[in-house]
Amino acid sequence: MSLLELRNLSGGYDPIQIFSHIDLTIEAGESIGFFGPNGHGKSTLMKTISGVLAPWTGDVIFDGQRMNRVGDRGSRRWRNFNYDVVTRRRMDPKTVARAGLIHVPEGNLLFPEMTVAETLAIAPIAGRGRGDEAHQLELVHALFPRLRERLKSKIRFLSGGERQMVAISVGLMGNPKLMILDEPTLGLSPKLRQELCQAVGQIKASGVPLILIDQDVTFLTELIDRLYLFDHGRISRKLEKSEIPSHDDLMAMLFGDHAA
Amino acid sequence: MSVESFLFVLSGGIVLGALYALMASGLAVVWSTLGIFNFSHGAFIALGAYIGWQVSNAEALGLGHVAGLSATLVVMFAAGILFQQIFIRPFERKDNIIAATVITTLAGATILQNAMLLIWGPRAKQIVAIAEGTISIGPVAFSGNDIALIVMVALILGFAGWLLARTRTGRSMRAVAQNRQAAELMGLNVPLLYALAFGLSAAMAGMAGYFVGSIRFINPTFGADPLMKALIVVIFGGIARFTSPIYAALIVGLVESFTIFYLGLYWAPAMLFAMMTVVLTIKPSGLFGHHQRTL
Repeated sequence: MSLLELRNLSGGYDPIQIFSHIDLTIEAGESIGFFGPNGHGKSTLMKTISGVLAPWTGDVIFDGQRMNRVGDRGSRRWRNFNYDVVTRRRMDPKTVARAGLIHVPEGNLLFPEMTVAETLAIAPIAGRGRGDEAHQLELVHALFPRLRERLKSKIRFLSGGERQMVAISVGLMGNPKLMILDEPTLGLSPKLRQELCQAVGQIKASGVPLILIDQDVTFLTELIDRLYLFDHGRISRKLEKSEIPSHDDLMAMLFGDHAA
Repeated sequence: MSVESFLFVLSGGIVLGALYALMASGLAVVWSTLGIFNFSHGAFIALGAYIGWQVSNAEALGLGHVAGLSATLVVMFAAGILFQQIFIRPFERKDNIIAATVITTLAGATILQNAMLLIWGPRAKQIVAIAEGTISIGPVAFSGNDIALIVMVALILGFAGWLLARTRTGRSMRAVAQNRQAAELMGLNVPLLYALAFGLSAAMAGMAGYFVGSIRFINPTFGADPLMKALIVVIFGGIARFTSPIYAALIVGLVESFTIFYLGLYWAPAMLFAMMTVVLTIKPSGLFGHHQRTL
């Protein structure tokens, strides 16, 4: 049984469609990566997989369970009715997270007025991995020793890198079966970037499969089994690990030869 | 002004401040969690007073204050959740939630007020004093009821503060208030937490109504004036922390009390609004506030 299956998934921010007809299967134990220009819909796709945005068409099937309500989104006339009352939510991020698919969004601000310790204390998801709380917390501390000193700090006083570490830790406390990391190293200094890349590697090594989005192909290639090139709201190419070219060749592949 | 009258006005101001603190904190819980202003808070205050009267008073069920307070707490918590499900939940994820809920909570307030008028009639009621007698400290005598009010308000606020700061549910409520999307992605049950926040707010309003009902006459619209004061407190103090409306409420209570003594009853609202305007001009996020919408 595959771990995650997307069937004919489309979505966007009403009324603008961002991506369409995405078909994708991740088998158990596989990690995949997404690579593509900014603003072409990678993050929107991830938000749709985790249910923050409702899918327009298609299905998200995770661990054998359908995450969305059956059927495509209603006509415009139906959408003008109050969807909470009339049609209910098409997909609920809570259900997705509780099933074990954890999404760490890009630039996650978390809860600015709460301390790191408080945030980690509410992170374990009810009914999932409750008994493992201590174990998960140990894992987090081992992964990010830097956070241990900042437990009592409010999140708004943390640096961008530390915030990203908290965001990933919060995801790990949910005891994920699959973790979506959306540009975890965005806007970080080279040293912090290296630290985070190592941590992401350790998460993968501890047996959590990843969907990883990043702009650094070398980093992606180390961790993933397959790379999807994503542009203009579609998966334009699918590359097995052995087929992934160097960064420059990839840029040429995406944008034409003049870059090389 | 003699020392005695000064202390008398001071203690009156503190009692007012304590009651405003309870009302304003309830209002702030909903404001900061759901991001809406609940115009039915005044009706909740009145409803709490009526329920308390019904259970505690000798003319009605006559079960005494302990039963009256417990019944108010439980019934108002449930009523708050029911109210939220009917009047707020349907608009929860709309972009224009604030505009929609201004109307629906006003509508809810009107419905509640008229329901109370139907059930309890137009005659004003009063809850008997919670504690009798006076306690003398130095030259001034405090009424036992005032002392009991202050102690109980402090206990309720302390409990609510503990709930929000120390328990998992309370912390989750604060998390939802600060970043709904991140909370959903963590698997928190956002609709449930919203309902609990509203229930907590309504229970606090009901308790405040019970206490106000023991010092003033209850009628279906008697929540309107406390609601206005609570609004002043929340805007004046900001809602940066759970404690900011409490400090602001004490200031508002004292200012009101001294204004009434020196300038007369009718100057009190003018004075409060003037003070609020000055504070907002200098510090737009409120006296203790900063830009973050949170608990």
